[in-house]
Amino acid sequence: MKRRTLAILLAATMVIGLAGCSSSSSSSSDSTTAAADSSETSDSSGDTATADSTTEKVFRYSVSTEPTTLDPTKGNSIGDNEIQHAITEGLVRNTNGEINPGIAETWEISDDGLTYTFHLREDAYWSDGVQITAADFVYSWQRLMDPDTASPYAFIGEYIKNGLAVETGEMDPSELAVTAEDDYTLVVELENPTSYFLSLIGSSGQFAPLRQDIVEEYGTEFAATADKNVYSGPYKLVSSENNEYIFEPNEYYWDADSINLDRVELSVVENTDTALALYESGELDYVQIPNAYVANYEGEDNTFMNGNVDYLLINFESTNEALNNLNFRMALNYALNRTEYNTLANSGVYDGYTGLVFSGLTAKDSTYGEVYDLDSYSFPVDGDQEKALEYLEAAMEELGVSDASELSVDITCSDSESTKKQCEVIQDLLQTALGITVTIMQVTYSELYATTLPNGEYELGFTGWGADYDDPYSYLELFYGPSSYNNSFYHNDEYDALLESSVTETDTDARMDILNQCEQMIMADAAFIPLQRRTVHYLVDDDVTGLNFYFCSINIDWVYVDIVS
Amino acid sequence: MAELSKEMFVIHGKDLKEMENISRPSLTFWQDAWRRFRKNKTAMLGLFIIALYALLAIFAPMVSPYKFSATDSSAMNALPSLQHLFGCDSVGRDQWTRVWMGARVSLSIGLVSALVNMCVGAVIGGLCGYYGGKLDMIVMRIVDILYGIPSLIITILVMMVLGKGVIALVVALCIVGWIGTCRFVRGEVYRLKEQDFVLAAKVMGVSDIVIILRHIIPNILGMLITNMCMAIPGAIFQEAFLSYIGVGIAAPNCSWGVLAKEGIQYLRIYPHEILIPALIICSTMLALNLLGDGLRDAVDPRLRGTE
Amino acid sequence: MLKYIAKRVVAAILTLWALVTIVFFLVRLLPGEPFTSAKLTAEVAANMNAYYGFDKPLWQQYLTYMGNLLQGNFGYSMKYTNKTVNYIIGQTFPYSANLGIRALVFAVSFGLVLGIIAARKRGTKIDFFCVIVAIVGTSVPDFIMGAVLQYFFGIKWGLLPIAKYEGFEYTILPSVALGFYTLASVSRIMRSSMLEVTSQDYIKTARSKGLSEMRITCKHQIRNAIMPVMTMMGPTVASVLTGTFVIESIFVIPGMGKYYVDSITNSDYSMVLGMTVFYGFFLVLCNLIVDILYGVADPRVRIGKR
Repeated sequence: MKRRTLAILLAATMVIGLAGCSSSSSSSSDSTTAAADSSETSDSSGDTATADSTTEKVFRYSVSTEPTTLDPTKGNSIGDNEIQHAITEGLVRNTNGEINPGIAETWEISDDGLTYTFHLREDAYWSDGVQITAADFVYSWQRLMDPDTASPYAFIGEYIKNGLAVETGEMDPSELAVTAEDDYTLVVELENPTSYFLSLIGSSGQFAPLRQDIVEEYGTEFAATADKNVYSGPYKLVSSENNEYIFEPNEYYWDADSINLDRVELSVVENTDTALALYESGELDYVQIPNAYVANYEGEDNTFMNGNVDYLLINFESTNEALNNLNFRMALNYALNRTEYNTLANSGVYDGYTGLVFSGLTAKDSTYGEVYDLDSYSFPVDGDQEKALEYLEAAMEELGVSDASELSVDITCSDSESTKKQCEVIQDLLQTALGITVTIMQVTYSELYATTLPNGEYELGFTGWGADYDDPYSYLELFYGPSSYNNSFYHNDEYDALLESSVTETDTDARMDILNQCEQMIMADAAFIPLQRRTVHYLVDDDVTGLNFYFCSINIDWVYVDIVS
Repeated sequence: MAELSKEMFVIHGKDLKEMENISRPSLTFWQDAWRRFRKNKTAMLGLFIIALYALLAIFAPMVSPYKFSATDSSAMNALPSLQHLFGCDSVGRDQWTRVWMGARVSLSIGLVSALVNMCVGAVIGGLCGYYGGKLDMIVMRIVDILYGIPSLIITILVMMVLGKGVIALVVALCIVGWIGTCRFVRGEVYRLKEQDFVLAAKVMGVSDIVIILRHIIPNILGMLITNMCMAIPGAIFQEAFLSYIGVGIAAPNCSWGVLAKEGIQYLRIYPHEILIPALIICSTMLALNLLGDGLRDAVDPRLRGTE
Repeated sequence: MLKYIAKRVVAAILTLWALVTIVFFLVRLLPGEPFTSAKLTAEVAANMNAYYGFDKPLWQQYLTYMGNLLQGNFGYSMKYTNKTVNYIIGQTFPYSANLGIRALVFAVSFGLVLGIIAARKRGTKIDFFCVIVAIVGTSVPDFIMGAVLQYFFGIKWGLLPIAKYEGFEYTILPSVALGFYTLASVSRIMRSSMLEVTSQDYIKTARSKGLSEMRITCKHQIRNAIMPVMTMMGPTVASVLTGTFVIESIFVIPGMGKYYVDSITNSDYSMVLGMTVFYGFFLVLCNLIVDILYGVADPRVRIGKR
């Protein structure tokens, strides 16, 4: 009897104990929900706004890499620059290659192409209502070149006279050839006649004006968050918290009437599959399709080319003698069936490409690809097995090798999944076609660009290039002897001289022909192994209009987007 | 209750024959363990699966008509068929061959690193737990520091020295991997050494070594084996994670982690590319778990002699 | 007890110092440099190195760093050039921790319950079910688990949000994906530990005293069997709370996880160090708590006796 009472008592305590437990656990979950609720309230302004979507025009999109900075001077990626393109206004605005007036209403270019005089509009204001003057540009450009700023993209200002000298500390930033004649007149002198200068400053955030008082007020904190900056562009940044960038129109923008959106929400979604799923569920208005899924959206998707050309760089100073043999390099180039490669490695999304210069660049009022017939001076896209074997035989004879498998090359690439797949395909195709031995070496992205390529610690390097400005020079410079980008250590005096002559040539058409000759020259020398030209497939909601795409410095340009229902 | 009387008892006397009779065959510890293990059907199934996979890993790629790295644009994302038992991946490589090539890498990484980790961890953990004091303090601080160093840094540095490959991965996994076992064994030994049978042995003047070997190790062996069976998946996972972020083994070699990583991108359109590797990984883990359970029961000293 | 804790705190500080020092020099050995891009010119690189003080001798850099660290200043990230490491941690840690706590509550509560039930009903169907859960949890890599959960619950059936972090329902899938491995480990360790304990003398004593099975399980078995789980929890808590790369990337959680991986592959030295110190602090703290709890949970281990 006594035992039974004990048991009941025990059971009762157990129940109470359990109840105690469960109540405490539920209260803890309550507190966590409360925390989530509070985080919700923090952007409730956004939520209430979406509820009112009949009047609000909101554009939501995602990017896969986090922008590195909001300081226009220090931006060093496409993603950084796309944001700056919306929140800053340069002297001119480059919209899809078309140069329109920005803060500068009109401008004059001297006959030698060296001096630019910009006349600034008087109705241009910062987002806090202060007027934008020529001094803001002078300050910004000096800051860009000042070694103490340590901008990762300072080299883009080397076109300006004395730019390089200021950058290396030989001259004071005040000696940079940018002067404000008065509040509304800005005079810029260049090192060389640079036909693409306007195009460059129209799409590069580094040339945006800056407010000295704001930059100095916040010091190193400048632009760390949305509130620590003022904006000159069509939009202002309202929030940059937690990988969400919220933009709203800048009411002080001089051309505010051309701006249609009420808000733009940019979220950083690193996982491209997730981004696609978010688009499908209606949480995004625009998304890039991962290559693997492109085939599933046939007919619904749109495309643009982002100007990126990928290739295998050849190290001319490597210990692998075979790479110094022209016939061997020819054999590699002819052996690779780039259509097959592209089908396998990129799900057929890109184009097999045999050139260095992106075909979409402007040339002679048309595009580079239209003016010059790549196929006539480069390798066949589908490869040519017979020719490849002929070249290989010649190479083997010259190198004194009897069995092709004794010839071996390493391909060094970064550790990203797509690159790995591309290199695996190249490896298989080359081994099958030529019977040589190909090895893949993977290094981290940082190692590839910090040591492997610049120090020449590779044989073939998988890399690519996208232009900063609409000109073939941006690509051709990669093989210019003294260039700091020349990671293949290719030296060809004839090529260098020809390329140098293009710099001083003032006739733009003649200059373009010179540049094309340069490209033909490195093709004839098989100085690298071109692979592909990237095409981006994307999905966008039907009611979105006015979306622009560009291939230098920026890809997506949503400044003039409108939502039409 | 009835009273007991002397009459109710009979003097039986000594039966010398019966005294010398051995009721069951004398078995060594391991013989006994094997005997019990064999009777455990699920554990045998586990052993069978592991053995089967190991054999396939060794022989399947050898006899396969496809090379694991050979691409084929006509068989991209092919579904499983008679030509390609497991289908093909996104560049037309035969998954059957790749799965078993991957098994070579993953199984050896898992087994070797788990074994090394168990041995090293058990010895160091045992010493720390048993002797405690300064030794324990020092080792635990080293462990804290080692645990704090991001394992990715260690892996990248090891790969820089040894080159990308299975050996580098195993070394990298072992540098940090033993810590888990060490902490766990230390805790267990700490607990056991205060128990009565250890105390009794101590009182009887048994040496430390004997106590550790005879009394403590048999008592933690069961959990150690369970732990190791968890460590193998742990190592295989770690390898998969490294593959996921691109620091795995050198291309074009593959492991299960690589296959899973490649396949997961096609979950929505070609599910077989992730399903098959995932099933193989799961069944391996299942087998390892069953095996671990069986081993645990088989070597448990308290279950000795029971059926 | 107080003396013991004081001693441990001193040891913890020394541990952290050693950790920072080792990692400070280890990151310099990493392949690559913090400032890298295909377009970096030599002039720009020189200016950036000077800006971050990399042109000074290493010991001087170390002293500067330690000086800043003592003031709680982790310095500027080298990749996200105008954000401090403190700012990034301050922004991202609450998300990781919030998610981590949910995952831990989910994992530990379910894990313990499954483990206990499985042990008590050994050999039955319930046991089998628990074992299956444990096996699935420990045999599916988190990136598959996350993607599969997202696909079925988010995309295919539309039951839960696909990604992002905008309220309670958004946290369910990531917490489950994040906590599943821990759940499985806890249940598995708990199960074998319970079985281990079941055959101990004090359980037999308790049983012979006529205590109810419930009371034996709760009062004697669990308390003793939970020790190995606690040993495991120290590092687990530290790593789950400070975020995980894979889950945060799949579910677009603005947490800390990605910076662990990215900072190392980008050689963002100050970020690697900041993350290491932060994580190291958590780890040391969790282990300290576990050690103290050992004394509380296990009556035989008296900390004072050491």
